[in-house]
Amino acid sequence: MVTLEGDRLVFRFPNVHAEARLTVTFQRTLRIPDDDRHYPLPPGLGAFPLRHMDDYRRRLPKAWVERGGVLMPMHQAEAMWISFRGDYPMAVAVATGKVDAITGSPLTRGLHRGPQDYLVTPGQPWLDGFCVEQGVIRQFVAMPLGQGYSAEEQISRTAEHGGLQLVVHPLKAAAYRELQRERARISRRSTGEIARRAADMGLAPGGRMRQEVYQDPFAPSDWSQKHMGRCFITIVNTVLWPSLTGETPPSVSPTASDYTKAGLPWFEYYDPGAVALRGSDTLARVRSVKALSESKGVSVLPENQSVDVQRTTRIHALRPRRVRDGRR
Amino acid sequence: MAASRPTRTAPRRPRRASQPRFGAYIRELRERLRKTDPSSSLRQVAQRIHVQPAYLSQVERGNVAPPSEATVRRLAKELGEDADVLLALAGKVSDDLQEVIRRRPTLFAELLRSLKAAPTHAVLRVVREVRDGKW
Repeated sequence: MVTLEGDRLVFRFPNVHAEARLTVTFQRTLRIPDDDRHYPLPPGLGAFPLRHMDDYRRRLPKAWVERGGVLMPMHQAEAMWISFRGDYPMAVAVATGKVDAITGSPLTRGLHRGPQDYLVTPGQPWLDGFCVEQGVIRQFVAMPLGQGYSAEEQISRTAEHGGLQLVVHPLKAAAYRELQRERARISRRSTGEIARRAADMGLAPGGRMRQEVYQDPFAPSDWSQKHMGRCFITIVNTVLWPSLTGETPPSVSPTASDYTKAGLPWFEYYDPGAVALRGSDTLARVRSVKALSESKGVSVLPENQSVDVQRTTRIHALRPRRVRDGRR
Repeated sequence: MAASRPTRTAPRRPRRASQPRFGAYIRELRERLRKTDPSSSLRQVAQRIHVQPAYLSQVERGNVAPPSEATVRRLAKELGEDADVLLALAGKVSDDLQEVIRRRPTLFAELLRSLKAAPTHAVLRVVREVRDGKW
């Protein structure tokens, strides 16, 4: 079951295990400069508001209501990262406009390994963008659907879905029990109809950032393919958010330049025991918002000047990772 | 002349030292984090949540009452714990929940009492699910 608790999406699988729970939030952040430098991870500036689609159904396009899920406001050219929290291992497919953000392939049912089209929590605490190379992502940036910037439009040549989709599978209870035993051993050793086009947003690739998407450390048979929770997050242009919900959207985030000048830290995530995925050739070929807007002769990214990051905080992986056991 | 009536006041209750479980719980969380991240020392955490280290130490040992809601929220963020869990351990009801109850006090009081002894899966059925549609 998927519930909305405040601004958190919570995926639970009580039929699999009482502790099978994953909390997802969508974090406001700086848009990193799109200048082909590799930046560290920007900070979280608080969660985007999430609202039940059904609470505003009379004001929304029929196509949105049919897909259910939740609504989330984003400013044009605003960036976002996804935070995953929970101790119980989950396999999470993240798609934008039904294009997988890790492989660039269309979102399909089930979990796949060749190439891996999902991430695994809790080893992967965040995802900031599209996986374009090993250890490099291009930041998620919201752009109006229909203008050609989104990964969906560039890869599938349609502007049909937009938004963001999450599909979550839990680890089977037996594999979890085995993991708990292993963790205990490690612990002992170590101690109203609105024109749809105007409001609908998709996610497009922005600047480059150092972030690894990790290889699944579990065996394929450890995952429960028959239990699945999924949610469609419709991204609404903040210009229309007040008329849809009666609420004020969050203010515009500070620029990367202002943030850095204030001496505030950027971040790096370090997990020596994890193996990074190679990255997607399809996504590597997708053009960034800046490159595409320049070829169109328009400017859609305000404040894109490069910044010199002076202060980076390294965050170490907290939880012991499972050692690959070769059962495959 | 009318006799003045002395004001009746309830005898002052001795101040409870603290919610001892709260202190022990946050200390355990912080110490666990400190094993992999030296910046989770008492001094540095105290600095980041804007309290004196000596005060945080007293809170962890259960010698003083838990801090304000705002401080508990900062602490929850710092320790990676759910703010509602820490507020409950601190014996507090968050401002937003109080507001929810104040708007419809009878309804929510009845709802909470009726769910008091319900098992978790029954409570979860009351929590509203996000509807999944066709996509």
